[in-house]
Amino acid sequence: MADTPLIRLVDVSKVYHLEAGDFTALDHVSLDIMENDFVALMGPSGSGKSTMMNQLGILDVPTSGELYIAGRNVAGMTNLERTHMRRDTIGYIFQKFYLIPLLSAYENVEYPLILKYKKRDTTGKATALLEAVGIDKEMSAHRPTQLSGGQQQRVAVARALVNEPKILLCDEPTGNLDRRTGYQIMDILCGLHKDGKTVILVTHDPKIAEYAHHTIRLEDGRIAES
Amino acid sequence: MRDIFFDLSVRSVRLNYLRSILASIGIVIGVIAISTMGMLGTNMQLETKDQLSAGADTVVITPDAVRMGPPGSSTTSSTASSVITKTQLLKIKQAAGSNASNIIPVYSTNTEFTLSSIPGRGMIYGIDPDHITEFLTIENGTNIVGANDALVGSTIATNFNLKLGSRIKVGSSTSGSRSEVKIVGILKERGQAADSVRTDNAIVVSDDWYVKEYGGKDEYPQVNVIVKNVDNITGTEELITAKLNTNAKTPVVRISDASTQLSSITSTLSTMTTFILAIGGISLLVAATSIFNVMMMSVTERVQEIGILLSIGTETGEVRRMFLYEAFILGIIGAGLGGIGSLVIGYSVVSYMIGTTEYFFLPDSIVYIPAGVLIGIVVCIISGLYPAWRASNMDPIDALRSE
Repeated sequence: MADTPLIRLVDVSKVYHLEAGDFTALDHVSLDIMENDFVALMGPSGSGKSTMMNQLGILDVPTSGELYIAGRNVAGMTNLERTHMRRDTIGYIFQKFYLIPLLSAYENVEYPLILKYKKRDTTGKATALLEAVGIDKEMSAHRPTQLSGGQQQRVAVARALVNEPKILLCDEPTGNLDRRTGYQIMDILCGLHKDGKTVILVTHDPKIAEYAHHTIRLEDGRIAES
Repeated sequence: MRDIFFDLSVRSVRLNYLRSILASIGIVIGVIAISTMGMLGTNMQLETKDQLSAGADTVVITPDAVRMGPPGSSTTSSTASSVITKTQLLKIKQAAGSNASNIIPVYSTNTEFTLSSIPGRGMIYGIDPDHITEFLTIENGTNIVGANDALVGSTIATNFNLKLGSRIKVGSSTSGSRSEVKIVGILKERGQAADSVRTDNAIVVSDDWYVKEYGGKDEYPQVNVIVKNVDNITGTEELITAKLNTNAKTPVVRISDASTQLSSITSTLSTMTTFILAIGGISLLVAATSIFNVMMMSVTERVQEIGILLSIGTETGEVRRMFLYEAFILGIIGAGLGGIGSLVIGYSVVSYMIGTTEYFFLPDSIVYIPAGVLIGIVVCIISGLYPAWRASNMDPIDALRSE
């Protein structure tokens, strides 16, 4: 089982049908990502990084080819099954944090737990995770707009972790942060990787990419270097 | 446990409270409109039914002809008399026999009158004083005793500020000699009485005075037969028909009772109620458009939030539920306030339009308030269906990209 990749892309293509003509965002990409890998996805704008992340996050499906996550072929899954996989297996960390504005920091972290268990968090898991990423009790009662960028991203990391996903997808997680805060977030991600998470990171910053164990460079929808 | 989607909806409504309140006002007005209109119509029906059922034991017999002129002038259609004659009255008495407790011939015509130089117009009834108290109630004063005594209806008494002892000049103001009557009693309000003797805006005099003034002795525009047992009313009507309307093609008299009038009036009032309810319904339709608009605005403003919810594993049904809750909350606020408003405004409108609120709290009437509230909430939820569906079917990638 140790040799079975956690994520497998077999000849995956994604073509967008635009008015100006077809645009191939991913062009026959094949790739294996093993459990507990730490992968950096790099490449210029329009190289297909975001499209790749959308595929890995099952927000989108390939036009052709096969994508397996945790041994399951995404193409054969219903919408509800994909939703549940996003909820249970994947933790998403976005560049713009994307916290739910109407909920407090604590509720944002509690939210995925409620989705999964259909009840409020009574285990104190959300509080523990917030403390682990450096958000104290007082701050956790604040709405996202009352927090700094670094604090919001910490809350977003706690939210991504709360359902104990195997995969962490980080789409430029330091892109909206100052360098110092960015490194603090990267330290947290490194710690999570050490704890056994599979981390996939999209970044433009070579220094941030250095945290990863290996880097995949995308160009025009193809893997240029792995 | 509080549903987090309900919490999100409550917070969204609170965040946009001004917009939410404005949208809810539409529902408030809509609910008040349909509840008040419904209650008004029902109160009218209940009052009419009550008034008509007071004369449920009365068979009303009128000549089966269009009366062309005042009684006694004998300007009638070619086929039948405009009055019930003495012979016909005798036949009615024979036909009704022991079924009738009383047979009351009623003279009536429209007349002008003057009170302290203020002119007026209304019906004048000539009835044997011995029969008056058998179907009319004197609220104030006594029955007719003297030759020039008269009773007046409650409306006429109020409008002309008449008191016992007041005198009224009766007859056309252009005619030279006008007789005067003295008011000895004021009658209780009768409304749309089943026996067609509508005394509220009328003067009642003795039959002798009437004949002396208007002539036409033993020529009655109407005869009331009061039956002993209401169950025998149809049988009595059949006996009278057999006796008087011997030729079915050319009937001599028209026979009716409260039930025929009741069904006819109830049917008319019911149509009216439906019509005014439909008008109220239009305001609810306008409110529905406003709720739909607010819900669409809410969806449009929260596209990115919807994208976040979907991308971190929220089911489409849960997103749909969140927006339906929002519509439901707007409905609860609007319809709740509308319900309270209906109680106050409905009560005032019914009191003003009908003059009594004794039927207002009866189940048939008050049911329009919970019904209106329920309709208001359902309308809100229906208005939220499409926006909720649209929110739940968004592409999470496109939704996340939106600013």
